[in-house]
Amino acid sequence: MNIILDFLDFRHVAFELLLAFAPLVLFFAYMQKRALHLPNSYVLRLMKGVALSYVGLVLFLQGVTQGFLPAGTEIGRIIGEAPWRWALVPLGFFFGLAATAAEPAVRVLAIEMEKASGGTVKQKPVLVTLSLGVGIFVALAMFKLLAGISIIWFVVPGYLLALIMTRFSTPSFISVAFDAGGVATGPMTVTFVMAIALGAAGALEGRNAVADGFGLIALVALAPILSVMTLGIFYSRKRSG
Amino acid sequence: MHKEAVHLLREVALAILPVSLIVCALQLTLLHMPWDVFIRFALGAVFVGGGLFLFLFGVKTGLLPMGEIIGAELPKSGSVKYLVFMSFLLGTAITVAEPDVRVLAHQLDFISNGLVPRNILIFVVALSVGICVGGAVLRIVVGVPIVKVLVAGYAVILALSFVTPESFLPIAYDAGGVTTGPVTVPFIIALGLGTVGVLRGRNSFSDGFGLVGLASIGPVIGVMILGMIYG
Repeated sequence: MNIILDFLDFRHVAFELLLAFAPLVLFFAYMQKRALHLPNSYVLRLMKGVALSYVGLVLFLQGVTQGFLPAGTEIGRIIGEAPWRWALVPLGFFFGLAATAAEPAVRVLAIEMEKASGGTVKQKPVLVTLSLGVGIFVALAMFKLLAGISIIWFVVPGYLLALIMTRFSTPSFISVAFDAGGVATGPMTVTFVMAIALGAAGALEGRNAVADGFGLIALVALAPILSVMTLGIFYSRKRSG
Repeated sequence: MHKEAVHLLREVALAILPVSLIVCALQLTLLHMPWDVFIRFALGAVFVGGGLFLFLFGVKTGLLPMGEIIGAELPKSGSVKYLVFMSFLLGTAITVAEPDVRVLAHQLDFISNGLVPRNILIFVVALSVGICVGGAVLRIVVGVPIVKVLVAGYAVILALSFVTPESFLPIAYDAGGVTTGPVTVPFIIALGLGTVGVLRGRNSFSDGFGLVGLASIGPVIGVMILGMIYG
């Protein structure tokens, strides 16, 4: 019963997000008065959309703070204390794969790549490479926290590799690759998979939830950059050879 | 409208269901977490899914057209100072409303019992994004190649990595990833395209993009500096 009451107490998030939306609405109001002078009916329609976003975000944040965050860290704690804690690595792979394969933004990217390559790169290989890429990087993030390795050893070589790969990739692939960085950090990864990592890091002896738990998003953001450029190199080879 | 809603509903379901199904399967085989925790997860999935649906629908009908209108209007004033300052304000205002940034701040609060106050983290990230968006717009006006700015930005991040307290590094890198969320990206891209559109003559396509990449450099540096203060 308590859980349901927790979920229905919207006071905190409602107030927090009211403050979050205020600057944007004020900015727009200032622009409207100073320069835009849009008709009132149109402004009203925009404001209805903004109000809808606000209500949606209140529900979303409530779901995260009352649901995913406590449940995810608890799941992470159970795994971190279990003798089979290394299962977190393959589990991370499957979570990453599942969160990406169906993610709509990723499909949009696949279509973009087909266009950027003039049709030589089909959507399916892009989807497969990206999903596998994100799966591998979530697994890496779990490995990092279990082994207690500093994030520097992943992020720095990762970006250096990306920079080196730009030399072998075509410009259209490079621009798609770097814009794709944010595509893979979908809602489930940021809210739920991250909470599992935080819970596991907190449960492991000698690990610190802040120092070892975070870093997942940074690694996942690297995955599409490297996957897209790998594809770019592969396809430019194929075409010239 | 109706068709769009159905389409959106399908997208949200596809984003949330696969991971949720894995959790259900795990619960029955390996995890055996207390059922009240499982109920928390399930209710969370319902709230996150429903919230995401309403939110994205509102983005399409409210925030996205708003971003496009502002992005097209700001560069028209002709004053570079005004354009850069307003871009800075806009970048800051949208990041304060960005859900991913907020979730990250809540997570840090939840597991560290307020190592860094939530609002300070959000404020620093927002201010950094604002500075970067202002700088990125100035870059378009002046015409500095994007690659130079990107390389310089990453070089600063790399250098600061060695002097930032170890425990703040992961969250700093993560802060760069969460700024590319559903509110920020449409606004920033609209602003970039609007600016380029007014300054015709530049290679509009490659000039307009890259704003998002630049915007995610700022928060990493901002949180690193925050870490040096708190660490």
